[in-house]
This record gives sequence, structure tokens and C-alpha cells, in this order.
Amino acid sequence: MTTDLPMPRVGLAAEHAPKVVRVVLNWGRRYSLWVFNFGLACCAIEFISASMARHDFIRLGVIPFAPGPRQADLMVVSGTVTDKMAPAVRRLYDQMPEPKYVISFGACSNSGGPYWDSYCVTKGVDQIIPVDVYVPGCPPRPEALLQGILKLQEKIAAETLSSKGIRTKYAGRAASAAEVTRPSLAPPGRQP
Amino acid sequence: MTAAEQVHQDVVVGEWHETLAGLRDGGFDYFDWLTAVDQTDAEEDAGFDVVCHLMATAAGTGRPPATLRRVLVRTRVPEGTSLASLTDLWRGAAWHERETHEMFGIEFTGFADGLGDTLRPLLLPDGFEGTPLRKSFVLAARASKAWPGEKEPGGGTARGKRRKLQPPGVPDESWGPR
Repeated sequence: MTTDLPMPRVGLAAEHAPKVVRVVLNWGRRYSLWVFNFGLACCAIEFISASMARHDFIRLGVIPFAPGPRQADLMVVSGTVTDKMAPAVRRLYDQMPEPKYVISFGACSNSGGPYWDSYCVTKGVDQIIPVDVYVPGCPPRPEALLQGILKLQEKIAAETLSSKGIRTKYAGRAASAAEVTRPSLAPPGRQP
Repeated sequence: MTAAEQVHQDVVVGEWHETLAGLRDGGFDYFDWLTAVDQTDAEEDAGFDVVCHLMATAAGTGRPPATLRRVLVRTRVPEGTSLASLTDLWRGAAWHERETHEMFGIEFTGFADGLGDTLRPLLLPDGFEGTPLRKSFVLAARASKAWPGEKEPGGGTARGKRRKLQPPGVPDESWGPR
């Protein structure tokens, strides 16, 4: 069963907001990025390292305690995206509220990386979701993720509040809830 | 664990199920794994090697686990021939046989896992066509783009003729230049 839900939008008044309001809103967004870590392989370890005391990306306002995609602003795809996993990545991305941002972390999620010719690896996560910042490396150092976060924050700071840009970015991407990619199996000994 | 304790056993296709049932009754009660090896390019008796690894846990005998015995049972299945399923001996063989079926296209007769009793795909995404671990499976990415790195050690400037590397899955010359 699929239910089409309207995507939560920023109100109409925001488009006509004065510059000061825009600066304040963008300042709030860039320093409060609740992050949803899509850890799929070894790059996730570098992500965890970046969140720990030595590199500590919480000082940049990246908060790794989002209970789920519905409470997150930023998705970091770290690791190898396989064709089997791709529908789940897309589905969880669809569940995030706008404005949402994606960092592709590592060679695998950028392009397929060392598995570019595999029969089961997606050739880059940007084939299924729009990506804002690509972090190269195999795996990248935690410092590279910090740099990627800074680049993303620069990008957010330069955003206008017009939702036109956002609308084109997510054009044709209606969020869907309760989507089941394959039917459930009944437990043994019971008829489905 | 020493190498001497590792026993190999080659059986013919018809005795596969019988042999494994005998081994299970003989103490090899633990099913470790089952897989296949593509030997379709072998000089003689081409086909697929189906390999099964069993262990004797010596449960109930009071022997220490250090004396764990193990056995590798192997059979050569010609292409297009089906093999008897082991799911009636070990329920856990179901996942291994489903994976071997989708990766190599080997049929297992009498497969029964109590959930439909069909060799449904286990790991491959929905709608995947082909058997990717066969040597004849051509990688689509390689057909459209050449390997971006070095092909030979030394980058082709090494002296002397080397045998040209042609790993399985890489399209040959007949696919045209890339």
C-alpha cells in the first residue's frame, strides 16, 4: 500500500522575507545539522571517528543524535551502495523533511569506487538521490569530512529563501510512506 | 587444527546426498557452508564443483573442541544437471543452496525450506537477470568502459612478452574497442 504525502514546505512568507531574516534563517540551518549516518561499509568507521572527541564535528553544529530520518537535516552516505540497498537509501531519503542535504562520503558512494565494475554495486549514490557535497578518498580521513561539512555550510549560507530552487531540486520526487518493496513472508507453518 | 585433519572427499553427483547423509550419521553433525566453483573451462569433465564443508562437533562425547574434525565434500556437476538438495539433512543448507542457485544457476531437486520450497533469489536485487558468479557472465560496466588503471605491472613498458591478462567477466576482443 502506498500513500502519497505532500512534502513539508517552507511557508510562502519566507520567500518575501527581508535579507536579515534570510541571514538568520540560514545561520540557524547551517549550524544545526542533525545528521543521519547511512553507514554501509568501512567509511562509516571514519564517520564515527569524525564524530568522536578528537575531530568532534559537533563543534561545527553537526549533531549525530537524530532518532531517525524524519528528524534529520543531513544524510551522510558512507560506504558501498549496492543495488539491493539502493531502494532503502532512496526511501529513507524521501522520509527526510525539506530542506535536506546529502554528503556522499568516500569513493564507493561517489562513483562505485573500487567496485565500479561489479554486478551488484550502484555506480554512485547520486544515481538515486541528489548529492550536495562529494568527499573523495578511500576511505577519506575524518578531516576530509570536516572539510565537506564546511563546504556544505558555505552552500547553505549562500541559499536564498525562495523555494523555487528547492522545488526544481526535488522535482518529480513525491515522498511516499508505507511503501513495501517486497511482500512479507508468513512464518513457517502458517498460510500467508 | 592441523592440515592433516582436513579431509577432502570427491563423490559423483548420484552419491551426493547419500554420502552427506552417511557423514552426518557418522558424527559430522555441523553444516558449515556450501558453495560452487565454476570449472566449465576445465580440460576434462567440465562443470561446476559443488563443495560442502562439514564439522564434527563431538557433541555429547565429552571430547574437547580442539579435536574438531572437518571434511570437505566435493562433486562435479555438469552444466544443466541438477543436484539433490541437503535441506532435509540440515535446514540451514537452504540459504546456501538458494545463494548457489542464484549465483551459478545450479538446480537443487527436493529443495524444501518450509517457506514456499522454491529456490527464490536470496541476495541479488529484485529483477536481476543472469548468474553473476559464472565465468561466462560479462560485467556490463566493463563492456562500456575500459579498466582505468594499469593493465600490466610496469605499465606496459616492462621488457619481454607477458601473457595477456583476461580475468573472467571481462569482455574479450569480439566486443569491440573500448
